[in-house]
Amino acid sequence: MPDPRIDEALRTMLPRLRRFALWLARDVHAADDLVQSAVERALSRWHTRRDEESLRSWLFAILYRLFLDGKRRATRYAALLGSLHDEEATWPSAERVTEANATLSAFAALPVEQRSLLLWVSVEGLSYQEVADILQVPIGTVMSRLSRARRALRQLGEGETRAPSLRLLK
Amino acid sequence: MTTTPPSEHDIHAYVDGHLDGPHRSEVERYLARHPEQADEVQGWRQDAQQLRALLAGDLAPAPALDPALVRARARQRRRTRWAMAASLFLCLTLGGIGGWAARGMGSGRAPMADAMQAYRLLALDHGVGLDITTGNESDLRAWLTGRVGSDVRLPDLADAGFRPMGGRLFATDQGPAAMVLYDDGNGHTVSFYVRPPGPARHMLSPGEREEGGLLANYWSSGGHNYAVVAMADRAGRSAAERVVGKAI
Repeated sequence: MPDPRIDEALRTMLPRLRRFALWLARDVHAADDLVQSAVERALSRWHTRRDEESLRSWLFAILYRLFLDGKRRATRYAALLGSLHDEEATWPSAERVTEANATLSAFAALPVEQRSLLLWVSVEGLSYQEVADILQVPIGTVMSRLSRARRALRQLGEGETRAPSLRLLK
Repeated sequence: MTTTPPSEHDIHAYVDGHLDGPHRSEVERYLARHPEQADEVQGWRQDAQQLRALLAGDLAPAPALDPALVRARARQRRRTRWAMAASLFLCLTLGGIGGWAARGMGSGRAPMADAMQAYRLLALDHGVGLDITTGNESDLRAWLTGRVGSDVRLPDLADAGFRPMGGRLFATDQGPAAMVLYDDGNGHTVSFYVRPPGPARHMLSPGEREEGGLLANYWSSGGHNYAVVAMADRAGRSAAERVVGKAI
């Protein structure tokens, strides 16, 4: 009894989810796995969604938590194996893209949460309340984190910081 | 005129274009008088616009991630997992049943096949080749005690018309076996066969089987396996019945 309306609603969100996953995982295959898991979870938990909750913030939250869980697990394994590699895997095209643009290179170098925050607010146009719902923090906290993220992006993106931020990617 | 500085919320809302007319001009008025902050906010606006434009290229259709396909893959995975669990369960069950059924059968031989071989070897020649030839039951009992075990009870079949002829030892995989042959004086012989259950402690549930014209009854008791073997004809059957009735 799959509901075609549910599929349709998810389908329209897919490109946005995938873009977010790409900027989180920085790897095409990892991003697709992430979206696949998020869609699966959304399908199996559709009935738990509150009506007043916006679909996009609900989906972004699912994907974001899946990513953080996976990263925690990966870090644990890496610690178990005694070798902590660079925590960020490189997205094949990232270096090429970031070379072309200082803002992008700075964006890629931001910590995951700041990157997500800016993507949700500046790129996806989510309301501050929606972001507060995703992060499960008060709206005032979203504001101060947003200020910090915007300053960090500015700092990283300005002039001479281009080369160091490239080194960060390797 | 004095204006209180706009809240952090309003500054961000201004950057993101969420402010309506009056609020927006209020923030703009404030920034006009605070050039340093105006510079920062202007930078934030530029960054936001740039990000929006740059990341627009990352929006691509992802047909492989369509919900219908995801649903189908999840269903397929569940089914595969189920099938694997079921086949694992089946393997374990069959293996378990098979192992249980085959326990102690050695190389898959029928129970107490050695008793039938022993009977075939001696009884058909009517006692030629016995180790001990005596009708004396206490001699036979002593002989059995020394070779197989003191707790082996030799059945007394005198009232059934059978008298012991003698006994013979056999070496089997399970340990020393002894056979005592009985004769009723009319050409009918019945063998009483006893041996240890072997290292696998394979105890027999009482049973009866026929093979090659011979009839074997077998059972376990007191740490030994027993068999009574006779010809599978009418006389042999009734003789075996009487021996089994006596012995168990």
